[in-house]
Amino acid sequence: MPHQCTTCGRTFPDGSKEMLSGCPDCGGNKFQFKPAGATADEGSTPAEQSSPTSDNRSDQSDDFPSTDFPSTDSQSTDSPSTDPQSTDSPSTNPAEAAATDDSAPSDSTPADAGPADSDTERAARTDPADSTSTPPDESTGTEHVNERSEEDVAQASTRSDVVSPDELDRASRPVDSESGADRQGSADPDAPRPDIGKLRDELNEQFESIRIVSPGKYELNLMELYDRQEYIISLQEDGRYVIEMPDAWGIQDE
Amino acid sequence: MGLLTNLKDSISRVTDGLFAADEPKRIGIYGPPNAGKTTLANRIARDWTGDAVGPESHIPHETRRARRKENVEIERNGRTVTIDIVDTPGVTTKVDYKEFLDHDMEKDDAVRRSREATEGVAEAMHWLREDVDGVIYVLDSTDDPFTQVNTMLIGIIESQDLPALILANKTDLPGADVQQIANAFPQHETIPLSALEGDNMDEVYTKIAEYFG
Repeated sequence: MPHQCTTCGRTFPDGSKEMLSGCPDCGGNKFQFKPAGATADEGSTPAEQSSPTSDNRSDQSDDFPSTDFPSTDSQSTDSPSTDPQSTDSPSTNPAEAAATDDSAPSDSTPADAGPADSDTERAARTDPADSTSTPPDESTGTEHVNERSEEDVAQASTRSDVVSPDELDRASRPVDSESGADRQGSADPDAPRPDIGKLRDELNEQFESIRIVSPGKYELNLMELYDRQEYIISLQEDGRYVIEMPDAWGIQDE
Repeated sequence: MGLLTNLKDSISRVTDGLFAADEPKRIGIYGPPNAGKTTLANRIARDWTGDAVGPESHIPHETRRARRKENVEIERNGRTVTIDIVDTPGVTTKVDYKEFLDHDMEKDDAVRRSREATEGVAEAMHWLREDVDGVIYVLDSTDDPFTQVNTMLIGIIESQDLPALILANKTDLPGADVQQIANAFPQHETIPLSALEGDNMDEVYTKIAEYFG
């Protein structure tokens, strides 16, 4: 019984889409998640149910009492005690967005996830044979789809309804910067810093008029430059542009 | 050819009529890098005002910001033509700092120059769109004129109906081939000159007065 409505107690199988629009029985929009391995009843102490918890969630957890998770915030769908996968509305809470890179949905009651617990859990997450049944995974949702069971594909798709690709991207950034950091020292001119490379790509998409091949190396699309109403008056070291907008025309002298 | 010239003259007269009589026309000096644009701009400015426009260099992209010399009064056949000369950075589709390394430049300086040159091209293209009333297109007559940049720029100039004068520069160098330039742009009149030596500048001024006066 992975998901349970915290209002009426109705349970839903893992990956179920039934509760996406709220509990069909009582309309409740708050659910708790119980991993398959932890099917203890809800009366059990949260620590026992504790499953891998993301750092963000752990940090945030201190703000919430541990005992009354069903009622922490009756309106909130992003309360830490709520399974992110069971929420049915798009989340605007950054904490929840960040939590989506944590493949192990947590029903842990926040206050119990103290710093020590977090460490343990973090360690546990790196173990693929984690007994909490949900495969530990810090990667993005795309990989979830590849690695998880059919049932979990449904979860992944559910999640994709809630989290925008941008948020997923943001959530997975630490991994990127780590790999980027390795390249930082290299002489590869294309990627002096990982985010600069990304920024460059972005800019190249937006400004086809000037393509920054590498620092000091540019390709120019003359027609684009000619056609643009605003014009680029300064290129910054990090690949940014300063452009003069049409409104400012006439101000600049020479 | 005579027909074409007549046609061009009448177009020229029509466009002339569109300009306010006493506003000096802004004439952009365009062309690929190292064609001698700044040398020409300096030559014109020195001949008629006594001042130079900017430093000249054999290193490409010496001019990385458009420079303007205002109120250059050129006298031709008892008539005075007043123009503003805009010396623009050389237009190119690729800028690579490595080409500056051959000129005893440190990498950092070369990279900065490259960035500034790119900004300069953007600026030159912007001026072409917004701010010039006529174009002097300078080509190095020792180079092949059939390039993407030349074709594109001449095309843009024509599409804007801007009066354009094509100058085949560097005729003092061995290997200069003015005819090749004339062949490349048969729809325009090509004037040979050496801006560095001052060769054939009289004809250039006559044509400037004719085209932009």
